[in-house]
Amino acid sequence: ALVVVFSPLPRLRGLLQRCWGRLERGLLPGFCGGWSPPWGPALAVQAPAFVPEPVSDTGESGEVPSLFDSILWMAAPKKRRTIEVNRCRRRNPNKLIKVKRNIDVCPECGNLKQKHVLCGYCYAKVKAETQLIRMEIRKKEGGPFNTPTVETVVLYEGEKPTEEDKGKRIIERARKRPSWFVQN
Amino acid sequence: MRLSVAAAISHGRVHRRLGLNPRSRLDLLRNLVTALVRHERIEAPWARADEMRGYAERLIEYAKLGDTDERAMRMANFWLTEKDLIHKLFKVLAPRFQPHPGSYTRLLQIPNRDNLDRAKMAVIELKGNPFPPLITPRRDTDKTLLNQLLKGYRQDMQQAAAP
Repeated sequence: ALVVVFSPLPRLRGLLQRCWGRLERGLLPGFCGGWSPPWGPALAVQAPAFVPEPVSDTGESGEVPSLFDSILWMAAPKKRRTIEVNRCRRRNPNKLIKVKRNIDVCPECGNLKQKHVLCGYCYAKVKAETQLIRMEIRKKEGGPFNTPTVETVVLYEGEKPTEEDKGKRIIERARKRPSWFVQN
Repeated sequence: MRLSVAAAISHGRVHRRLGLNPRSRLDLLRNLVTALVRHERIEAPWARADEMRGYAERLIEYAKLGDTDERAMRMANFWLTEKDLIHKLFKVLAPRFQPHPGSYTRLLQIPNRDNLDRAKMAVIELKGNPFPPLITPRRDTDKTLLNQLLKGYRQDMQQAAAP
């Protein structure tokens, strides 16, 4: 650690101190107290870092200004909210969960469904069947990027391609035709 | 009247912001369009499917102009990232939709996704696809109450008119 040791002439030291003090008061008005370290042409010496700290406000400058002084520091509730007021707020209609009135019974399977949404059970059924058809398509195509340039038709067990299925690619599914998949 | 607009209010704005930036939004939609042309039926978040629907239908309209059209080919080249689908678009989808004037896709909402996000999902499909139909149109049977009452009324009218 470095410690400054100085030995200027006494008169020169006083003059320099006054000049510096004026400068500092002009440039650094926040400088602590009136104390400034004794300075002047000096000599820097390697020595232990203990410097006797003068009594100043540096200890308190890091602290938050005491709560006695500042009235507008933090917002806090003034009174306890009574249970009546709390109930009014918690049970206000905009906080309650709305009752859904658009639930119906699906005519196909009998499960519940929302009016503007597809039935979950029927959709899962159709999705499973589509998945199986897609697996058959994948087996037929072999690799990726082999999309054919003709339409596709799905035929179940015991079905023959008709007149309109002339130029189409035929996908065979090894099961009976489900009742909800009407052949066009 | 509010003359200056606050940045965080979006009342009445219709354009959706998807992805990270406008370029990323177009890439997202492009992937979805490619998947739709390949698989003819996709499940996606409702906002993305709704956004993609317009682009897909315009692409089919461009494809209807024909294979030899330069603009149509450039559009198909940009929007379909898998190049074998360009052949499918011009040779399969364009003739399929030639008689229809518009609305080549069907967008239906599905129950929310099962993950933690419970996202609003939709299924978008091209009409005329080979898969099983999502909604079966119900024909009115004779057994419903209203039809039975109407049948009875018709019979009463006939009996009153006949003798």
